Amino acid sequence: MENKTNSVDPKLLELLVCPLTKGRLSWHADTGELVSERAKLAYPVRDGIPIMLISEARELKD
Amino acid sequence: MECSLEAIFDQALVEKNRLRTLRSETPPADFLLKIAAEELAERLAVVERQFETAAEIHGYTGLAARALLATGKIGKVTRIETHAAFAAPGDAFATAPLEQLPLEPASINLAVSPLSLHLTNDTPGMFVQIRRALKPDGLFLAAVPGADTLQELRDVLLQTEVEMTGGASPRVIPFADIRDIGALLQRAGFALPVTDKETYTVRYDSLFELMRDLRAMGMANPLTARSRKPLGRSFFLRAAELYAQRYSDPDGRVRANFSIIYLSGWAPHESQQKPLKPGSAKTRLADALKAKTLD
Repeated sequence: MENKTNSVDPKLLELLVCPLTKGRLSWHADTGELVSERAKLAYPVRDGIPIMLISEARELKD
Repeated sequence: MECSLEAIFDQALVEKNRLRTLRSETPPADFLLKIAAEELAERLAVVERQFETAAEIHGYTGLAARALLATGKIGKVTRIETHAAFAAPGDAFATAPLEQLPLEPASINLAVSPLSLHLTNDTPGMFVQIRRALKPDGLFLAAVPGADTLQELRDVLLQTEVEMTGGASPRVIPFADIRDIGALLQRAGFALPVTDKETYTVRYDSLFELMRDLRAMGMANPLTARSRKPLGRSFFLRAAELYAQRYSDPDGRVRANFSIIYLSGWAPHESQQKPLKPGSAKTRLADALKAKTLD
C-alpha cells in the first residue's frame, strides 16, 4: 500500500466512531489505521476511505 | 454485537446484489433512486436553513448526496456505504456495516437515507442511531419504499407458486406501512415528524423486463427465508401470463407500482414548537366548543 493514499480527511475523523462500540477512534499515521481501543480493532484506511468492517479490521492484542 | 432478532434480510446478499449491478455490463437501473434523490433535494430546498455537516447513509451510488449538494443548502456531505466500490472520486466516504452507523453522537446537521432503510433488520434501531448522530435541531430526511410497492409481482408470484407447487415462499420483501414509519419516527424521538407518499407506476413489456430492472437496481430477493430451489422457465412463463392477465393496460404493457414514503423529523431542540403542558390552558374547552356551535 502506498503511503500517499493512507491519509484521511481530519473533518471526516471528527464525525466517525467505531460502528461496533460507538467509541472514539484514534488515527495512527504510522500504520495508517483507525484504532478502536474498546473493540480492540484497527480499521484500515484505503485511498482515504476508512473501512470500518470487522471482516477487514486487524485485531489488536495486548 | 449481533442482532438478537431473527434476521429478515440477508445483508451479505443485499450487498452482493448491489455490487453486482456496478460490475454488470448493463448499466444499473437507478431511475427510482434518481426520482427519490430529486424529491429529497426539493424538500431540503424549501427548508430555510443551512446544514453545515451532512451524511448520506447507504445511498448506493451517491445520487442523493449530489442532488442535495446541488441545492446549496449543505456545506459538506459524508457518504457511508458498506463497500468502497460505491465511492466516487472526491467523495468524503466511509465504509461501515448496513446497520451500524459509525457516527459520533450529535455530530451532523443533516442525515439522508435514500431507499435503503427498507433493507434493515432492526429498522427502529437505525432510526435511533440516526437521531443520536444528529445535533439538536438536526434534520433527518429519508425515502423508503412502502406498502403496495411491487404488489402486482407479489400477487402473481404467490399465485403461480401455489398453482405449480401447492405451497408458497416469500419472493417479494415486506414493505412498511406509512403509519408504521410515522410511529417509528416518534418512537425514535424525532420532533415534528412528517410523512407522505408518492406512487409511481412504471410500465413494462412484461414481467421479464420488470424482473431485469429489479436485478439491475440490486433488488433481487434478499430475504433470509427465500426459497433456495431454482425455478424453471415454466414458472416464470406462467407468472408472466398471470401478470399480463391481471395488470396490463389496453396496449398490452403491464404496470408495476412503486410507493415511496418520504419522511422527515428533527432532533429535538428547545426552539421547536411543542404542545402545551396539560392543565396550562387559558380558555375552557367548553367555551371553545360553545363558540363553534353558535356559528
